[in-house]
Amino acid sequence: MTTQQTRPSLDDPRIAIPASSEWYEPAPTAQTERQAEFLNLRDGEMLINLGPQHPSTHGVLRIVVKVSGEQVVDLDPVLGYLHRGVEKLCENSDYHQAICYTDPLEYVASLFCEAATVAAFEKLVEVEVPRRAQYIRVLTMELNRIASHTLFQGWMALDLGGITPILWSFIERDEIVDMLAALTGQKLLYNYYRIGGVNGDLNHEFMSRLGNWMSRAAEQIDSNTGLMNENEIFVRRTRGLGVLDAATALRMGVTGPNLRASGVPFDLRRDHPYLVYPELEFNIPTREEGDSLARYMVRIDEIRESIRIIDQVLHEMPDGPIMAKLPRLIRPRPGRAFGAVEGPRGVYGVYAISDGTDQPFRMRIHDPSFVHLQLVGPLSRGNLIADTMAVMASLDPVMGGVDK
Amino acid sequence: MDRALASALQERFGTTLLAPVRQRFDETEIRVSVADAIPTLRVLHDEPDFAFEMLIDLCGVDTGEEMQVVYHLSSSRSGDWLRVVVPGVDRNAPRVASLTSLWPGAEWMEREAYDMFGIIFEGNRDLRRIYMPDDYRSYPLRKDFYLADDASRSPAAGVRNMERVGTPVDATRATALRKSPGA
Repeated sequence: MTTQQTRPSLDDPRIAIPASSEWYEPAPTAQTERQAEFLNLRDGEMLINLGPQHPSTHGVLRIVVKVSGEQVVDLDPVLGYLHRGVEKLCENSDYHQAICYTDPLEYVASLFCEAATVAAFEKLVEVEVPRRAQYIRVLTMELNRIASHTLFQGWMALDLGGITPILWSFIERDEIVDMLAALTGQKLLYNYYRIGGVNGDLNHEFMSRLGNWMSRAAEQIDSNTGLMNENEIFVRRTRGLGVLDAATALRMGVTGPNLRASGVPFDLRRDHPYLVYPELEFNIPTREEGDSLARYMVRIDEIRESIRIIDQVLHEMPDGPIMAKLPRLIRPRPGRAFGAVEGPRGVYGVYAISDGTDQPFRMRIHDPSFVHLQLVGPLSRGNLIADTMAVMASLDPVMGGVDK
Repeated sequence: MDRALASALQERFGTTLLAPVRQRFDETEIRVSVADAIPTLRVLHDEPDFAFEMLIDLCGVDTGEEMQVVYHLSSSRSGDWLRVVVPGVDRNAPRVASLTSLWPGAEWMEREAYDMFGIIFEGNRDLRRIYMPDDYRSYPLRKDFYLADDASRSPAAGVRNMERVGTPVDATRATALRKSPGA
């Protein structure tokens, strides 16, 4: 008589693999005072990883979170997963090539990093951009700002667990992206601005798509926002969460909508005017609360202002050339220049140094997402783990820009 | 161009400035020594005549001969960008004081400058690598760091990239360290 065969059990001492401490990665050794503080676990605290591959971390970001139960005690973002060394690449390419390296930094609204780069280069070369090109730049940038903010809106809802808004917001974004694709030939990384102008004039397809969209844009945006602004779960989860006061925001170097949500009306379009913005009429929406909801609301208001700007630009667009006359190979005189634009996330700045050759000697790219990511720690201390995602979504960092 | 700012800076800082105030387009530039950097920035931040409350950028620069730390500031009182250049940081042992006591937000930008140039910011509580791995040894944005795939300059000179047909342009160029006289 045979006994019935049973499936081998992992508890069976003959096949069980003995536990070994080698399975676990040793805790990193502290290199700095701050890290030593972070790695020093008190009773009941533990470290967990969020990311790198986690849908709510907006790209490839890893956050080591120190938790006590469900509460976040401290956190330490680990960067570098998307680091490509763009600054070094730019220093080893000529001035025209450097522009397209800055595109994938801010892949959600890639025209802004380009705009900052050409602004710096144009100062080095001392070239005046034709007026029509300036209007085209403002038009495309504002379109890109709307595309970025609508994506933010859907993404924030997704991080909070709502699926529908992102599907709705992609309707808007796709329309704008298709429009810009008709103009620039690219859907995401446009490489459209040139030193002294833009790559191509407005074409028929772009204009007809734009006209179509503008006739119902405001209405569509309103219906999209109604889905979230009046959603009780969304409002109650974000109100009073991650409050950033104006003084702290200034000391942390925060710019853009995140700063304006704290009540500081700082906007480069008004304070350091560039292109034709001084001639256009628009408001700078601000909020006083400084919480996640305020950061969301400021962006929604900005969409409406952008539509106003586009409307004015389309009425005032002059005729004329779209490129200044420049030699093909650019060798600016030795010097330094700083160009900056107001992007959907804050100030994009490029500091370029020329040594008289055809390549920039040093090119520093400042991305606002990098600065804003520092705030995730201070703003989510003491909150629940799930609220870390809400805080991060409201700060709206893009990892391509953070990691350069 | 904000002429009033230039004269105010010249008057307030006088001999602290290593060079006369320079202005070009909407940029104003001053140069101060390593020792004077933080006191100068503190005055610019605190005094209501200047009120440079916003630190827009902090970066390191390697000119091939020395290191520099460059700050870009913005004030609600002026439409100009203020650039504070701190030249003359020793290239072999670059050390400057940290700005984190004034602007805590400078912490990561200083970490980045440390990671890319090896500049040590004294007083930064978290000065460690930010992009590169912890065990990485060199500083990628220094001018003596060549790109590994730049065939004409690297030790693998002679290996040709697929895209490059004919003589690479760089092969005719001297492989000497690129230095900027104007920076």
